[in-house]
Amino acid sequence: MRRPDELVDGAARALSTRLAGGLTRRSFLGRMGGGMLALTGGAAVAAAVRPDKSEAFHFCGHIWTTGSCPNPMGLPRIDRHGYPLRPGDGRPIDNLGRLVNRQGYAIDAAGKRLLGPDREPLPRAPRTRLCEEWVKERYGHNSHSQGSWYRCCGKQIRKLVDCCSPSTHRINGDASLVGYCWNGNRVFCVMYYDSGLPC
Amino acid sequence: MVETFTPAVCGSRRRQWLALAGFAAGAVAASALVGVALGAAGARLGTQLAFVAAGLALLAAAREAGFLRLPLPQLRRQVPERWRAELPLPVWSVGYGLGLGAGFLTFQPVATFWVACAAAVALGRPLLAGLCFAAYGAGRAVMAAWPGRGQADATAAVEGLASRRRALLLGNVAALILCAGLLAAAPAVEAAVQIQTLGAGLDPSAAGTVLGRAQMDAGNSSVLLQPDGETPIAVPGGAAPSVDGDLLAYSDAQGVKVIDWRTGDLVAHVDGEVAKPALDWPLLAFVRTDSTYKRLVVADYTDPSSPTEREITHVYRVNDLGRPSLAAGRIAWHRVTAGSSTIYAQALATGRRTVIARSSVAVLANPSITRTRIIWVRQGSRSCGLRMRRGDSRAERRIYGTSGNARLLWTTALTGRTAYVTRWSLSTRSSTLVRVNF
Repeated sequence: MRRPDELVDGAARALSTRLAGGLTRRSFLGRMGGGMLALTGGAAVAAAVRPDKSEAFHFCGHIWTTGSCPNPMGLPRIDRHGYPLRPGDGRPIDNLGRLVNRQGYAIDAAGKRLLGPDREPLPRAPRTRLCEEWVKERYGHNSHSQGSWYRCCGKQIRKLVDCCSPSTHRINGDASLVGYCWNGNRVFCVMYYDSGLPC
Repeated sequence: MVETFTPAVCGSRRRQWLALAGFAAGAVAASALVGVALGAAGARLGTQLAFVAAGLALLAAAREAGFLRLPLPQLRRQVPERWRAELPLPVWSVGYGLGLGAGFLTFQPVATFWVACAAAVALGRPLLAGLCFAAYGAGRAVMAAWPGRGQADATAAVEGLASRRRALLLGNVAALILCAGLLAAAPAVEAAVQIQTLGAGLDPSAAGTVLGRAQMDAGNSSVLLQPDGETPIAVPGGAAPSVDGDLLAYSDAQGVKVIDWRTGDLVAHVDGEVAKPALDWPLLAFVRTDSTYKRLVVADYTDPSSPTEREITHVYRVNDLGRPSLAAGRIAWHRVTAGSSTIYAQALATGRRTVIARSSVAVLANPSITRTRIIWVRQGSRSCGLRMRRGDSRAERRIYGTSGNARLLWTTALTGRTAYVTRWSLSTRSSTLVRVNF
C-alpha cells in the first residue's frame, strides 16, 4: 500500500501533466480565479437571491424589504395591542404558539384546556408584544410600534405596522431607514394587523 | 520552506504574497479539518479521555525535558520540491499548506502535535477542536512569513531562531505541563454529553444511586423508586416524588407525605391543598394553593413534634409557581406569568435571592439545584432546551434539547454532573425520562 505522501505526490504529478498539456498559465489562473470567486462570492450572491431568504413581499401588503418581527409562528400577525395572533385565523396565541382562551390558558381547537404529562391542565405561558417585548429581549433595543400604512388584503383592510427602534441596523442585518418612525427611531422590523373592515 | 516564499532573486513581492496566502489558506484548512475529525471521533467515543490526554502531555513533557527517550510517530518527508517547478503557484502553495497543515505528513521535532491530537479527541467537540487546530495551521503560516519581514536575508532569521532552540524546548516543556494541568481540570475533563432514555415516567428525582419517578397508568399516578442494584419500590397513588437518602416525599390526594421508603414508615405529612414537594431533610418545601394565591413554603422538621413553616414567595393563583428544588441550604423555583417567566434561587440562611434567568418571550421552568449547579428548562415556540449554569457564573450552557413541538421538556432533577428531564408529547401526553451526563 502506498504511503499517504506518495498518493498525494502521484495525484499532483498527474495534475501537473494535465495542466501543462491543456492550459496556458493565464488561462489556468483565470479558471482558478473563477473557481475561487464561485466559492467565496457566489455564496454571498446565492444567499442574497435565494427565494426563501427574500424579505420583500413576504406577506400581503408588505412591498418593502424589511423583515418580520420575531414571532411564534412564522408570520408577525398581531392584535390591536401588538400581541401575537395565529396567522391563519387570527385567534390569540401565546408565546409558544398555542391557542389560548381569554384567561391565557392553552386550549385545543375545541376550546378545552391542554393537559400536561401529569394529566393536569397546563399553566399559562407568557404572551407578550412582538415589538415591545420580543425585539427588546432578543436584540436589546427599546422598540415601539410607530408608523403604519394600510392595504387591502383578502378583501379586508390590513394595517402594516413598523416596529421602530434607535438601531441603525434593521432585523435583516443591513442599514435601517427612518420610514414612518419618529422621535429619532428607525424601522427595525414589521408586523401586521387585520382589521376585518371590508375593502 | 522559508526561501520557497522569500526567494532571494526569483519572483516578485506580489508572487511571494500570493504564495504565502495560498500556503496559509491550505495550512489553516487542513489543520482545521484534522481538528474537526478528531473532535468528531471523540464525540462518538463518548468516554472520558481527558485524563488519558493529560497523561500523554506529562509523558511528552518528560520526553522534551530529556528524561525519557520516546520515538515519535512521523513521516520523515519534506514538501516535494519539484511541485514548485511543475505546478502553478496557487496549486503548489496551497498544496504545501495542506501537507504541512495536516501535521502528520512531515517531521515532528517535538511531541506537542500528538498531545494536541489526544486533547482534541478528549474534547469531543468537532467545531471547537477544528477552531483550535486551525491555530496550528495559522502558526505554520506565520513561520513561513515571519523570516522574510524586513530582513535582507531570510535565512538569518531562521538561524537566529535555531540558536534559541534550548529556550524554545524549555518553553515547550512548560506548555506541555500546563496542558496536562488544564486537561485534568474541570472544563477539559467534561466528556461529550451523553444522553440515555430511561423508559416511561415523569417528575424525576435523584439522590445518590436512587432514582425516583412518577408513572401514569390509565390516568392513575404512582411513584416508582429504583435504588441501584435493589428491587424497585412502588408507592401507589403517589405523584411528584422527591428523594433524599432513605426518605421520600410525594403528593397524594390528602396532601404531601414523607416516608422512609425502606420501611414504609410515615415520617411527616402536610394535609390540604399542597403539592410539588422538594425534600432536603429536615427541610421540606411544597406549594400550597388557596383561593387567591399559590405559596411556596419551607417547613423545618428539626423538631418533628413542632415543625415551623416559612413562606418563601407567593403568586396569584392564575400564575404558575413551579415545582421547587431544595439542596445545600438553597431553594430554587420558577414563576411564570402572562408577562414573563423567571428562575429564582434563594439561600435559606440569609434570604438572599438571585434571579438565575428571566425571559419575556420563552417559558423558563422546573429548575433543579445542587451545591454547584442549577439546571432548568427553556421552552420556546420552536424548541426546548435544558440549560445549565455553574456556581456564580452567568454563563449558560445548553446540555440537551428538542426541536419542534412534537417533544417537549418538563420537570428536571440534578445530581452531580447527571441531569434528568421529563420528555413528553403534547399530542399523546406520554412521557419518558432522559438522563443527560454532561
